[in-house]
Amino acid sequence: MKNSSLYGLPENVIFCKLCVISNQRPSSTVEFKSSGGESKSGISINDNGICDACSYNKKKSEINWKEREKQLLKFLEKYRKNNGDYDCIVPSSGGKDSSFTAHILKKKYNMNPLAVTWAPNMWTEEGFENFNNLSRVGGVDSILITPNGRLHSYLTKISFLNFGHPFQPFIHGQKIIGPKMAKKLNIPLVIYGENQAEYGNKLEDNLSHYMNNQFFSVEDDFNFKDIKFGGKSIQSIIEEKKFNFKNFSTYLPLQKKEVSDSKIQMIFLGYFEKWDPQECFYYASENTGFRPAKERSDGTYSKYTEIDDKIVPIHFYTTFIKFGIGRASYDAAQEIRNHKITRDEGINLVKKFDGEFPKTYFKDFLDYIEISEEQFIKKIDELRSPHLWEKIKNEWVLKESIYKKNF
Amino acid sequence: MRVIARLDIKNEDVIKGINFEGLRVMGKPNYLAKKYYNEGADELIYSDCVASLYGRNNLSKFVESAAKDIFIPITVAGGIRNKKDAELLMKNGADKLAINTELFKNDNLGKELIKKYGSQSILLSIQAKKISRDSWEAYINFGRDRTNMDVEEWVKKMVPSNFGELLLTSIDADGLSNGFDVELYEKICKIVNIPIIACGGFGKLIHIKELKKFADVDAISISKALHYNKINIGEIKNYIKKND
Repeated sequence: MKNSSLYGLPENVIFCKLCVISNQRPSSTVEFKSSGGESKSGISINDNGICDACSYNKKKSEINWKEREKQLLKFLEKYRKNNGDYDCIVPSSGGKDSSFTAHILKKKYNMNPLAVTWAPNMWTEEGFENFNNLSRVGGVDSILITPNGRLHSYLTKISFLNFGHPFQPFIHGQKIIGPKMAKKLNIPLVIYGENQAEYGNKLEDNLSHYMNNQFFSVEDDFNFKDIKFGGKSIQSIIEEKKFNFKNFSTYLPLQKKEVSDSKIQMIFLGYFEKWDPQECFYYASENTGFRPAKERSDGTYSKYTEIDDKIVPIHFYTTFIKFGIGRASYDAAQEIRNHKITRDEGINLVKKFDGEFPKTYFKDFLDYIEISEEQFIKKIDELRSPHLWEKIKNEWVLKESIYKKNF
Repeated sequence: MRVIARLDIKNEDVIKGINFEGLRVMGKPNYLAKKYYNEGADELIYSDCVASLYGRNNLSKFVESAAKDIFIPITVAGGIRNKKDAELLMKNGADKLAINTELFKNDNLGKELIKKYGSQSILLSIQAKKISRDSWEAYINFGRDRTNMDVEEWVKKMVPSNFGELLLTSIDADGLSNGFDVELYEKICKIVNIPIIACGGFGKLIHIKELKKFADVDAISISKALHYNKINIGEIKNYIKKND
């Protein structure tokens, strides 16, 4: 086996000097067009050893947020309705960030938002409660789209078995559902919370409040049957006769023409409001009845990030296996950038929790996608990139880690 | 009823979360300690909220400087794993120590410390999370990890070691200012005869009355309402005196 990345990521692992993330962190891609095998690009780390997410966070403190707030008010004025209609859609999971977004738009900016939720694979108890509380406590109207469970678990299964990426169908749904419902309900504004670039997509992605529409729309001549999950097209799934094309209606993105004809705009609130995930947690706790998880999630110390879906710990376990970056790394990097913890603390937390086996909902996951434990372990081992992993005394260990480098 | 001000500390700062989550900075430990002392707090609790997480204890320097000009009992909680940790804190001016996480690994630690420092100096600390209408589970690592141990059972198991007091914190009520978890204290008060400190949930004076109606607790511990200047300790003490 050659000693290189299975995912086209850099062969030399480099860690950011300010946080705990490495250059193996892949940037977002348009996953529904992926057949697998394409090279991923990792977060860039500049000549001073600083990653794009940390660079952006430094810039955040120089932004004139008062000015941005004025810009937002001016922008919203164009969309605000006073006839009882909804004037914007907030794609929401019931998590802290989207609950903050929906609630603050309603209360502070006097908008009339409709929260639209693409259901998780398997709700956690607290996730479902938080989702309901956004309406019950927070007073925000919401609708829930729950895709065909048989189809969705099948898509999750092939995404796991083909790409080691069980979260792909969910991410797809979450990305397309806001604009799709905007079109259906004739609400021309979709407002997301933070830009993913906060966490390390290209720096320039943070320079605009508009969302890159390649994630939720397709060219007008694009054949929907070419949409892929785990690299497998809808066409070839249909050919197996278990599902038909009609089953996929919630998964089909808008065409670019539909977006422009209905003048749908997609923006990030994080461009206008200084984004601080922990402050979103406080805000949501105080205003929308949000509660943290009843215990820390597997693989991390945190109780407040991404707690809605039982699959999330499995998802981060796969990122740990594929990229050497587990859930504690993501959480710690974010909290270091937002000055909640020091880098030293972050390194300690990564050492303690990253890559912890996702035991809590493991059986639920196996049942959900109908595979055996042996199949799971076999797949996991296939996903280990040889430039990251070695086997010592029958145990897999990471060749490079931030705690080995720094202690 | 004693009124205790509680300082959750991470590194150099007092922080305050909600349901034991979040690290919002409130101020400097010794500045706030002095303030609450001057307002008439009966005692202080210094709690290192990341001690178990990082396997360290950071509080002795704060306790040492506080002990010079604060003349009320100081209890230290968080990260006390062995006799050495205890000794360092006691030497630097702690009056009492509260132990939780380590007891789940080594339930002798309580007995050992009680033998050395006396019952009055060693508190049993429990972080309780409600799991059904009538039961609570004990948590460790500042409310992050479950133990599968029922709080009532744990109390019955540990109290005979002769702990001087029980610091009983409700994870569900923490940081919300919606009142104490009255049922928790009602239940536990009935089964122990050592003083109980109720911690978590205080937001306004009426919450004390609601608590006292059902549970004979010996002290209340308050943090958020004080840090956010919603109330001062003098007002709380007057209220308690009037309603006694």
